Amino acid sequence: MKKNINKISRVLLISLLMITTWGCNEFLDETDKSNFTLENYFTRPEHATSVVNSIYESLRPVMESGFGGGPWMMLEFSTGLANTELGQAQNSLFVRSLINNSDNGYGQTYWTSYYRGIANANLAIEKIPEIEMDNTAQSKLLGEARFLRAYYYFNLIRIFGNIPLITTPIDLTSPELYPEVASTSAVYDQIVADLEVAENAGLPWREYSGRVSLGAVKTLMASVYLTMAGYPLQAGDQYYQLAAEKANDVIQSGTFDLFADYDKLHSVEDKNQGEHIFMVQYAAFTIPSSWQVSIIPYNRGISAYSAETGGIFSNQEFVDAFEDGDKRADEKTFFYTAYSLESDRSTIKELGDYYIWKHFDEEAQLNSTSSGMNWPVFRFAEVLLIYAEAMNEVNGPTDATYEAINKIRDRAELPALENLSQQEFREAVWREKWVEMCFENKTWFDMVRLRKAWNVTTGEFEDYVGHQFTYGPTVKERELLFPIPTAEIRNNDKLSQNQGY
Amino acid sequence: MKRNFIKTNKYQILAFVFSLFLFTGHTMAQESRTINGLIKSQEDQELIPGASVLIKGTTRGTVTDIDGRFSLEVSNGEILVASFIGYEKKEITVEAGMNTLEIILGYSFADLSEVVVVGYGTQKKSDLTGAVGSVSSEALEERPSASLNQALSGRIQGVNVSVNSGRPGGRANIRIRGNTSVSIANDPLYVIDGVIIHAAGLANGSTPIDYLNPNDIASVEVLKDASATAIYGARGANGVILVTTKRGSNKGGMITFDTDVSVGVLPKKIPLLNAEEFLMVEDIAYQNAQKYDPTGWANGIYTDPKLKRTNPLLFDANRNPLHDTDWQDESFRKAVTQNYQLGLTGGNEKDSYGIYVNHRNEEGLMRESYLKRYAGRFVFDSQIKPWLKVGGSLSYTDQKESQVDPLGAGGIIAMRQVLEALPIIPVRYNDGSWAGNEDYPGMEGGNNPLHVANERVYIVNTQTMLGNIYANFNLAEGLELRSVLASNIINQRVDYYGGRTLNYIAKNQRGDASVMNDRLNSWQFENYLTYNKDIDENQSINALLGISWQHVDRFNSTARSQDFQDDYFMFNNLGAGANVFQTLSGTSAYGLNSYFGRFNYNLKEKYLVTFTGRIDGSSKFGEANRYAVFPSAALAWRISEEDFLKDHQTVSNLKLRASYGVTGNSEIAAYQALAGMGNYTVIFNDSRSIGLGVNRLSNPDLRWEKTFQTDVGLELGLLNNRLTFELDFYRKITEDMLLNAPVPSSSGYSLVTRNIGSMENKGVEFALNSVNMVNKDFKWDTHFNISINKNKVLELTGGADIFSGSTVIREGEPVSSFFGFVHQGTWDIAEADLAAQYLKLPGDIKYEDVNGDGAINDNDRVIIGQGIPKGFGTLMNTFQYKNLELMVDLQFNYGNKVLWRSKHSAEDRQGIANSFKTVLNAWTPDNQNTNIAQLRPLTAGYNTFNDSDRTQDGSFLRGRNLLLAYTFEPTLIQKLKLSRLRAYVSVQNFFLSTKYQGYDPEVSTSGSPFDQGVDLYAYPKPRVFMLGLNIAL
Repeated sequence: MKKNINKISRVLLISLLMITTWGCNEFLDETDKSNFTLENYFTRPEHATSVVNSIYESLRPVMESGFGGGPWMMLEFSTGLANTELGQAQNSLFVRSLINNSDNGYGQTYWTSYYRGIANANLAIEKIPEIEMDNTAQSKLLGEARFLRAYYYFNLIRIFGNIPLITTPIDLTSPELYPEVASTSAVYDQIVADLEVAENAGLPWREYSGRVSLGAVKTLMASVYLTMAGYPLQAGDQYYQLAAEKANDVIQSGTFDLFADYDKLHSVEDKNQGEHIFMVQYAAFTIPSSWQVSIIPYNRGISAYSAETGGIFSNQEFVDAFEDGDKRADEKTFFYTAYSLESDRSTIKELGDYYIWKHFDEEAQLNSTSSGMNWPVFRFAEVLLIYAEAMNEVNGPTDATYEAINKIRDRAELPALENLSQQEFREAVWREKWVEMCFENKTWFDMVRLRKAWNVTTGEFEDYVGHQFTYGPTVKERELLFPIPTAEIRNNDKLSQNQGY
Repeated sequence: MKRNFIKTNKYQILAFVFSLFLFTGHTMAQESRTINGLIKSQEDQELIPGASVLIKGTTRGTVTDIDGRFSLEVSNGEILVASFIGYEKKEITVEAGMNTLEIILGYSFADLSEVVVVGYGTQKKSDLTGAVGSVSSEALEERPSASLNQALSGRIQGVNVSVNSGRPGGRANIRIRGNTSVSIANDPLYVIDGVIIHAAGLANGSTPIDYLNPNDIASVEVLKDASATAIYGARGANGVILVTTKRGSNKGGMITFDTDVSVGVLPKKIPLLNAEEFLMVEDIAYQNAQKYDPTGWANGIYTDPKLKRTNPLLFDANRNPLHDTDWQDESFRKAVTQNYQLGLTGGNEKDSYGIYVNHRNEEGLMRESYLKRYAGRFVFDSQIKPWLKVGGSLSYTDQKESQVDPLGAGGIIAMRQVLEALPIIPVRYNDGSWAGNEDYPGMEGGNNPLHVANERVYIVNTQTMLGNIYANFNLAEGLELRSVLASNIINQRVDYYGGRTLNYIAKNQRGDASVMNDRLNSWQFENYLTYNKDIDENQSINALLGISWQHVDRFNSTARSQDFQDDYFMFNNLGAGANVFQTLSGTSAYGLNSYFGRFNYNLKEKYLVTFTGRIDGSSKFGEANRYAVFPSAALAWRISEEDFLKDHQTVSNLKLRASYGVTGNSEIAAYQALAGMGNYTVIFNDSRSIGLGVNRLSNPDLRWEKTFQTDVGLELGLLNNRLTFELDFYRKITEDMLLNAPVPSSSGYSLVTRNIGSMENKGVEFALNSVNMVNKDFKWDTHFNISINKNKVLELTGGADIFSGSTVIREGEPVSSFFGFVHQGTWDIAEADLAAQYLKLPGDIKYEDVNGDGAINDNDRVIIGQGIPKGFGTLMNTFQYKNLELMVDLQFNYGNKVLWRSKHSAEDRQGIANSFKTVLNAWTPDNQNTNIAQLRPLTAGYNTFNDSDRTQDGSFLRGRNLLLAYTFEPTLIQKLKLSRLRAYVSVQNFFLSTKYQGYDPEVSTSGSPFDQGVDLYAYPKPRVFMLGLNIAL
């Protein structure tokens, strides 16, 4: 018996030791079956398309809207032309009252989502050339990636001013994980370089799918050159020339034209068509856009949406400043001041304020509560206005510049302009742009590029710094930029906060 | 007989018989004479029958007869040892002339030879070198609970249990000696019968331990210091809770049946506006609109609310309300809970088995919430051969919970609508349709709470299987090999449906249904050798060496669809939804391979030394850092065994112990060391396309988080341990803290799991047990404990604050620090000019301009309170008169704040939903000294922030349990063929004394790790009236 036990114990001990050695090897190797890793991806042409798709997603977070307001609103409240009923949207209120600070979540969203887009673009630009695939397709995908990277940088440099420039993928050991601030001109140089590649990538003039087109590339180039000619770079008049050339390319392509009817600007059927050049893409029920709840008054019972947040609407003074007879000031053209009640569509409720109609999706508001409305990034009207402005800077008013601006005015049923001096024409274009492009995240960029503000009470343009909003606050030097998000400065001591914040 | 609370009759008789056996006929001596004596009890002077008297160093002895008398042959100089169960031993030297003898024995009030479970073994309590707390099943029986964590509340010093929700099953948060980690789990490690339970986050904040049937527990041990926890190495840093379940019987067949039935009621109502007050507030707000929004007023966006009071379902012809609904009365009910536990056990000394079945049916206080549990367990143990013992257990639990309080939800949930449903609407109209806030124009249109509770359905179905089999091989004298194979499977399905008419929930989607399936498999294989040896009279050793493998894998999938034509289908037919919204799946797996050992050395029962160590390897970490060593050492000195104290009259036990060691925490998600890519969804051509892009920054240098803990403990027993104290001081430093640390987002990434930062917890734990009074019929004892823990974040990435939920994690401050503005009341009329600088009017909220920059913005936020108490404890008094027992269990907690976030919607804004009655104290020119801003319509602008007005003192004293129990005399119930019959009534949560104005300051509604004390629409805790029976036959 005792012998047996000894025997057994020896066997057991030996087997125990054997298992011990087995334990050290493969047992602790686990692979992630749900996800690729950077090391094992980028082997097939589909992977090239896929990584480029991921860059587009970063267009959307800044458009997210709800009870907290929405990041995109910061570019509107900073113009002094917008108001809100949403008391809890503190980020909106801080910007509107010019007491903004670096903790503002809106700015944080711009920064993080755009840099994520840039990281995906960097990945695409580095890895796609390594994938064996059709050259044409490869070149187009690289063109899309370059366009998007340029677009993100262009917005970041204008919003934050002092930003890092990162053009290669980052890992934990990269020095660029904690990057220095790049000079403004270096960022613009990179933007131009990217766009030049995109311009020659073989992209078609128009993409009904919603992907980047040559039209989008040229429009962005025109906008970039126009900005380079202005503040802060003031790179020289040749940039007005370049802006005009690129805008003219778009005009001459014959691909795009103004919608005859303003309603088409916000009709789901006309997405990516006609006047639209590039848009942030949504689809009802799949990935619906969310700003419908923000452009309706607070709980007045006009919408099928449960949430009616009153997130943003226009100051009356701004609409009052439109030229007499401007169709865009008419009810339900750019704005609406009355709407039927959800409980009884035959009763019209006066709302008292000017709510935004140009992004209003009637089908969603009345029935579906899921909006497939796209957000316009570039539309042909802006191209015409860029052309008119840039060409006027180069040559003064010409037939072509009059033609461009009068196309816009004609649609608004305003008389054609003629016989203006260069300065008169300049301000006429600005006014036209303030009105035509309002609430499309354009106006503030124009204000800081020109360092001018439209005084809607006097109708005059005055210096941006020192300009007083109709509701009180006065613009200070610091408001030429938004503050760099607190978290970013805390996490990277090579950055410093913009002056005044 | 007497004093059955110290010694049971059974034991007494047994000892008597046993002693007779042993000693009869062994009395012989030289030059001997007969000595006659008696043995008495010191406390009540009663004679003790069956006590043994032994001559030291011999086998000669006897036992006292039925009258407590004995006679024994002795010689001078011999030493008599008198002993009896439950009493302290006593030694008497026989001297010349000593013919009669009266020996008086004193009670032994605490039994130090009691055995407690430690990791991979057991130890005598007196031999412990570490800080270990223990709870017996008798103690757990006094307060039947739905979960283990709830049951542990207040039992052990250093263990802070916060029962944060009053929902069925509760939602208990448990922290042993504070929070040791910032971004990974702070929950302790649970080990059930040697099976390590995988720490997994399950649906709505639950964890695997919530699915253990607490009625199955025989004892619970809590390992607190490094000496005790280091045997669990990488998972020991948060403390370890060892659960031992009930086994079979070794004394033949036995049936036990335990049942309790209870009714829970709402202990307190929050004062809310009634119909008249609500309409009055709305009217006043309207009158103030012009002051706060002159432009809007001029544009005519405000209209007199009286004009809209025309709905005939709500108002009479004079525009007076028809209804005055108290939504707290409507929503809360008398909640009935039933619990049944049946145990069938059998066996002999060699083989035993047990079958346990349980059913629990718990109604929630809030209508539509419930918990139903069916559980069964089978255990067996068998000494097959002298050298081989095998056994195992298999348990199955099926639990179904309907929950109405989703974690972290600030949207429309039933609990919110209890506070915000309008008093002017009924529950339903006469035609049976639901009434809702939207029926009164201009309101935020949340539906009424009963409507929400009925049609927002969230059901968690959980099935768990926990099984293990073991074999103990007796290899040689004192050498044993134990091999354990165990498995734990958790299947959880979460069914969700948001009804088609629920505003903000699923109305826009026309019904929203989803089904989430989650399956966790874990297996564990452990082998370890233990060796016990008495080297000589003075020295003994005990050694342990083992190896372990554990593997866990998880798979989950979700399907969700929307747009239903009828609510009928709910989640039972996702295909009936027109919009297939989402399908997801994911999987992860990790393995652990460990080696562990322990060495105990005991010198003369005075000096005890323990060395413990574990080497853990985990697949979660980068290859270079997979393995880590977690050592500890401890020393104990039993001073009372030293000669100078050995026979001391007063001091019966004095032990000093000290330990130091390292434990770890590895509860990060799998694959954090790899550069994983993530899914992106984009739209092209109006349809979904998928992209893959950056997601996770790889960190191949990832390594274990380590906690270094020092503990010094003192155990003191006085007067035969009638009075015992236990005092512990500890300090824990966590280093290489695994932090989901932010990186500059210019990289495209926001966070990376890194080893950065350190944190400190230090504290004192004190426990006192005292038998205040004892005599023949009456006994009164007191248990008191208090724990004080101080947490401090020592270092974070680059010193940067981390915002976590409503709290800030900041260097030099404790975690769980609420962050917000300093509320200074309201602006007075006299301060109008100053207010104007801040764009405020008299009547607006006044915040402190902390940095003095003339504007109130995020830079003015400061720490406004701590959510974690400075100290907490228990005072428990038990009175026994004959067979009647009365227990009063009080819980206290001090030094914490509760952030009452419900104020955001129920106090800061008015006139669009119902409000707290406090808004009646709003600012007016005649009432300027108030914290509530002047009433105004919401669109006229208002302030709502986390501020110091929301943080309220959360200190409390709670009557946790009041229990009256009666145990029937065995003689009485023998006729019923019962061996035990105990009946009790109890009231749990029988009072609550606190300054906090919400339902209960022991609360958290947030899923965020440090949001203890955040109350956003909390589910109130019931006062429970319980009736119970324990039967054995």
